[in-house]
Amino acid sequence: MSEPAVVFEDVGYAYEEAPHEAVSDINLRIEAGEWVGVTGPTNAGKSTLCLLAMGLAPHFFGGKLRGKVTVLGTESRAIKVIERSTDVGLLFQNPFTQISGARERVHEEVAFGPECHGVAPAEIEARVGEAMDLVGISALAARHPLDLSGGQLQRLALASLLAMRPKVLLLDEPTSQLDPAGTAAIFEVLSGLHQSGITIVMVEHRLETLCELCPRIVAMVTGRILADGAPQEVFNREVVQERVGLPVYTRLARSAALPAPRPVRLSESAKAFRTPIA
Amino acid sequence: MAGGLSLYQEGASLLHRAHPLTKGVFTLSVIALAFIVPSLYWILAIALILLILVIVAGVLRRLIAVALALLLPIAVLLLAVQGFANPANHTVLFAIGPVVYYTEGLYIAAIAALRITCLVVATFLFSFTTRPADITEALMQRGLSPAMGYVVQSALQIIPQTLDMAGRIQDAQRSRGLETEGSLPKRARAYLPLMLPLVLSSLVATQERAMALEVRGFGLPVKRVRRYEFADSAVQRVTRWALALAVPAAIVARLLGWK
Repeated sequence: MSEPAVVFEDVGYAYEEAPHEAVSDINLRIEAGEWVGVTGPTNAGKSTLCLLAMGLAPHFFGGKLRGKVTVLGTESRAIKVIERSTDVGLLFQNPFTQISGARERVHEEVAFGPECHGVAPAEIEARVGEAMDLVGISALAARHPLDLSGGQLQRLALASLLAMRPKVLLLDEPTSQLDPAGTAAIFEVLSGLHQSGITIVMVEHRLETLCELCPRIVAMVTGRILADGAPQEVFNREVVQERVGLPVYTRLARSAALPAPRPVRLSESAKAFRTPIA
Repeated sequence: MAGGLSLYQEGASLLHRAHPLTKGVFTLSVIALAFIVPSLYWILAIALILLILVIVAGVLRRLIAVALALLLPIAVLLLAVQGFANPANHTVLFAIGPVVYYTEGLYIAAIAALRITCLVVATFLFSFTTRPADITEALMQRGLSPAMGYVVQSALQIIPQTLDMAGRIQDAQRSRGLETEGSLPKRARAYLPLMLPLVLSSLVATQERAMALEVRGFGLPVKRVRRYEFADSAVQRVTRWALALAVPAAIVARLLGWK
């Protein structure tokens, strides 16, 4: 079996001067090439999970880390964030602060990361072009990053990350500022990346989207993992339905008193509603 | 959202294509020379060279707008103050009743106004034809550290970013009933509820950006790559040296009695 991409072993983490841990008792093993969706209500610890995987917690935030976070075989305490950035990319919730703030053109902004990594100029050009094409911002190449809309900035932030060719992508609500068409386009890009073998950990609130895209869901509540498994398995658990919520198809099926396991995806839903209820 | 603090105007003129350092040295030298040369004719010659370059660069119309807004009030003020009230005045140029205007004052005002014009035109000519990123890139290629280059580049962008953030906070506070217009004391009172969120947002944004820079590998101990080379030539190198040497030469000439 190949080396896992991300491993959390008995992890607890408290931010500096925080009275209690933001995440506790996290045990999670994500295999290379997996696409894992992370969901849960506010303060569930989803973003902290990403910060821990990237190493920003505790390297940047300080605080107290229990247990071990290992990404691509290296424990987070043993590697700096800038060194980890070679293989791991993190997309923040706020795309405005993800940009460098020092570049005057969109294509230069996308090139910033590869330049920092010392990639050869010809290779940078190729990566920049490819990343901008992938997320659909090639037409904006000559614009100033600060003149872009929120959705365009989010695409730019993702392109900047993709140009660094990470093996593990940590995405904290990657489409929060995008319209439905933009969201669908980005998820198509992510599907392509997943098929090419990149490991994706994606925090997302839209449960229907998560169920359609991610073969595995981690549901979190108050800093702990509440459920971890296939979407249908996770969202058919009563405790998840009560504390995290449930996809619209599952809710419909529950309203119609369809028997468990209830559908979580559109295709399953259509099939379930065609099945006569005993 | 506001763009950067750049005045750069797209173009393909000789000046646009010149090496950023050539343009930088030219600008600094021309400004220095305008203040060093002794007579009106020399300053006029420098102004004429600048005017030709402004036309060549294709930024004349934009520069006229700036000149009218910035230079005209200064020139009028200088001409009035010097012409009427300079202590060296003694040759009457014209008189309207008891008000007398003097030739010496006009000459002194013309020199001062032309020097300031050279300073403003040279600076704007440089800004209109040179991207700030190119200046720092050129300096980094000459040994400026990437960290310092980043500081310079981001400093040029931070003012419009902060103004943009302040505008959004002001709109949000207005929508909740804060009065930001009216008398001076009223405006002063309105600043407090604007400043606190602005300072806090700036601090949060700075922290997040610092994280984002780490995540993108800024500071990795690798050899920095040059994405592009600026076109340079022997002519440009000689020009740079000649301009840089012209300044001390002019100072020495003035000290030796050049009038």
